[in-house]
Amino acid sequence: MRVSIILRYIGTVMLCVSAFMMVSAGISYMNNVDSGFYPLLLSSLLTLTLGAFPLLFVPRAKSISNKEGFTIVVGSWVLASVVGMFPYLIWGGEFSLINAWFESVSGYTATGATILNDIQYLPQGLLFYRTSSNWLGGVGVVMFALVILPSLGTSRMSLSNVELSSLAKDNYRYRTQIIVRILLIVYVGLTIATTLALKLAGLRWFDALNHAMSACATAGFSTKNASIAFYDNVAVELILAGAMLISSLHFGLIYATFIRKGNNVFRSEVVRTYLSIIAIATLLVATSIFGANIYTDIWEALRHSFFQVVSLITTTGFATADTNLWTPFAIVVLIFVSVVCACAGSTSGGMKVDRLLIFCKILMAKIRRQQHPNAIIRIRVDGVVQDAEMLNGVVVFIVTYIGLIFFATFTNTLFGQDLMTAFSSAVACIGNVGPGFGEVGSMGNFADIPVILKLQNSILMLMGRLEIFGFIQLIFLKWWR
Amino acid sequence: MKGLGRRVTIGFLSIVALLFASGVISLFELSNLSNDTEIILSASRRNMELAKDMLKSAHEHSQAVLHVAIFDEYAQKDVCRRVMSDLDGKIATARSEAVDATRLDSLQLSASNLREITEQFIFTEQPAEVQLQTIGVAEPIEDGELVALRGKLWYDEHYKPAYEVLVDQVQNFMTHTHSSLAPRAEQLNKNAYRSVAPVFISLVVMIAIVLMFYYFIRIYCVRPVERINSSLSNYLSYRLPFSVKGDLLDELKELAEGIERLIGLSKLNRQ
Repeated sequence: MRVSIILRYIGTVMLCVSAFMMVSAGISYMNNVDSGFYPLLLSSLLTLTLGAFPLLFVPRAKSISNKEGFTIVVGSWVLASVVGMFPYLIWGGEFSLINAWFESVSGYTATGATILNDIQYLPQGLLFYRTSSNWLGGVGVVMFALVILPSLGTSRMSLSNVELSSLAKDNYRYRTQIIVRILLIVYVGLTIATTLALKLAGLRWFDALNHAMSACATAGFSTKNASIAFYDNVAVELILAGAMLISSLHFGLIYATFIRKGNNVFRSEVVRTYLSIIAIATLLVATSIFGANIYTDIWEALRHSFFQVVSLITTTGFATADTNLWTPFAIVVLIFVSVVCACAGSTSGGMKVDRLLIFCKILMAKIRRQQHPNAIIRIRVDGVVQDAEMLNGVVVFIVTYIGLIFFATFTNTLFGQDLMTAFSSAVACIGNVGPGFGEVGSMGNFADIPVILKLQNSILMLMGRLEIFGFIQLIFLKWWR
Repeated sequence: MKGLGRRVTIGFLSIVALLFASGVISLFELSNLSNDTEIILSASRRNMELAKDMLKSAHEHSQAVLHVAIFDEYAQKDVCRRVMSDLDGKIATARSEAVDATRLDSLQLSASNLREITEQFIFTEQPAEVQLQTIGVAEPIEDGELVALRGKLWYDEHYKPAYEVLVDQVQNFMTHTHSSLAPRAEQLNKNAYRSVAPVFISLVVMIAIVLMFYYFIRIYCVRPVERINSSLSNYLSYRLPFSVKGDLLDELKELAEGIERLIGLSKLNRQ
């Protein structure tokens, strides 16, 4: 493994991070040189030097191995989170070392969980930087870096192996170079469209841009303490719900829909399943909270339940209501959607509907095989037969995912958290959702949880973002041949 | 300058520039910190001075009033007026300099109240009997005793409570000043951290860069030189063909090519 090559490609990612810090410093400067200016400027310069240094010495690689590609992706995410702490640490305020790390990891993994009690106290530059970390994390730091990587050929595919889930990669059916272009066209286009729509709905340009970036990254950092509840505006909620929904669909399918290809959003079995889950969950939650007289108007109940279901299933985490006050049944439904999450190949995290669909088909196949022992049963998704290795991978992933949730719940309760907070924060962090329930509810934050749990949750966020095994491989890197 | 030389120079210059930038930002933050400290200290000092002067004026006023009311020394009337005017001036100054001027309203009110009570009693020319009746003494007594008793009763029942309220208000002003400066002091505490953080973080980054620098110089400069040296030694000692394994960069590549050419020329000369 060539360390210098790895450093070179991670350096490129650092340059992207540095550029966004510089833009944020520019916003601070325009806002009468607010208190975020110097922290952002210095952090940008430090990150720039750190990123440019390997580029100065290490020549371009003709090709890179899978092991190197993997290390670049994981290293990029971890190091982006490390340098992402700098503006927070230098600015001070509520950001201690561990808080800055948590906020940075939450940003770059597009989780959206926060340790801040008073978000609105932050200067505008730092607020924008926070959201930009979401935006960068959403598309994938490495995907972003691939656009500007000068080398061609095999290196691109190696880098995208870890970041994109294997299911998503199969569904793309394009070359990596085109995947990157598709990602960026859809992502940037959607962000611009959402910003304009939010502006028309009455938000300030700054808030519109920040919320659009956060929604398209399905991350959930807001510029307001009360999140979207601050606006109490149906149009804003509908626009954001739309943006979150689109961002949680397979980007390749969105692109295919726009260019009128056969394999598009409307024909996808996964998307149909996903939308059905949203519809059923919304109805269940609305009925439950309306029945419990939490909302006396059925439309209000539907409005809030729809937004919360979409916000959690897309792993965004925006809030229009304090869901802790909802019925236990509604909370269970919301936790279920936080576990299932959205489609592979989108900016969402979590287990993914694709896997749930395959898992259900495996179960059905198992039952049928017991009834007809000699039958040859093939499992298909969107007409494509899934091979045994893929099916095995899905089962292993789901089991590991749930196992990790239980392990994290166990650790959380060990450090004194109540069961609801412990379980929901584990689900929210590994799924990159953001808010959970209990102390870490939609109107709460992670400020008061013990330091060790902040560290554990930040590792869960990284694991979730890197599809668990991407992160676990890091431990076994030495034995990778 | 080209190739490796340029890289090494840029590397060192970037380290120097970054250290300089972090130093400048730290100095800037320290300068802000120093200014803030100065502002808080001078505000605190000034408020203490004003409060002390107010208490002194109130005390002087009380003394002068005692002389007038009990010992009938009407020459002290002017002292009362002057001292009261001084107190008003101090309150006006405090109001103009205060962070939160609304807190001075009650102090102003109690000073006005004290002035009114004093004016009503001392500067209103009324017969002693009438004044005694107003304060509840109806029986006739001697002139000297009458004045002293009138003054004492008035002082105890009217002036003293108003005076104590004024003193309390001045003390409140002192304590409030400190509590209003507390958030600024807290902010100062955070700023102190901010002035150290850039240097600390820059140092950590510098260590990372220096380690990278060491690694790259080792990989791209030292090892190729060692490989060239080893290959040249093999050629000189055992006449093995001169060939350097691995990729070489810039000047080192030129050096290896130069040695190869030199060896080629020496072979030709020998032939």
